[in-house]
Amino acid sequence: MIVTKEKIVDYIPHRSPFVMIDNLVSARADRFESDFFIEEDNVLVHSGFFEESGLIENIAQTCAAGFGYLDHQKGAEPKIGFIGAISKLEVFELPLAHSKINTIVTPTHQLGNIFLVKGENYCNGRKLLECEIKIVVT
Amino acid sequence: MNETLVTMELGEIIEDTRDFLSEEFEVDRNLILPENSLKDTLDLDSLDYVDLVVLIEENLNIKVTGEDFKDIVTFGDFYQLVQKKLSL
Repeated sequence: MIVTKEKIVDYIPHRSPFVMIDNLVSARADRFESDFFIEEDNVLVHSGFFEESGLIENIAQTCAAGFGYLDHQKGAEPKIGFIGAISKLEVFELPLAHSKINTIVTPTHQLGNIFLVKGENYCNGRKLLECEIKIVVT
Repeated sequence: MNETLVTMELGEIIEDTRDFLSEEFEVDRNLILPENSLKDTLDLDSLDYVDLVVLIEENLNIKVTGEDFKDIVTFGDFYQLVQKKLSL
């Protein structure tokens, strides 16, 4: 665990109730991993399930935290990133509230200030969703 | 470097490039000509350039950077870059 839930907002611009990541488990330039416990009152829980949009947001925030952590390690301030595009999206299943999900983000390409990342969420080893996201960093 | 590619003639690479670019960007293959603008013909925005980088890597097995694109205006410029990267 390299950033705990209590400190995660130091690395991402998101604030409650839209923080969709708990702990940053690891971060290398080529791989970020996080976990997140889905509370029942999460704004993206409906009919007892965490929505697809929540899973995508969780991937994006894992990416933000990972890049933020790496920037911090270099003594730089975390940058703001925006989702430019989402592609190759596949949803396999939605997690129930009170589940813990694990998320892996793999930055695959960079062109200037645009990063292409592959994101995957898992719950108990089962893949929930995968997609590619283009992140534009300011 | 992909051994198949280095044994290919530049002409073959150009034809393959026309194929994958026309398919991915849904552009008439006949518009992908050396003198035509890469950006205008493929209607590229800044995000599309990332797709182009991925396509080039997947199909030609060469890595291109943002710096490489600074000198590319036409498809002809692009083929020159490919030629340089593949040392043809």
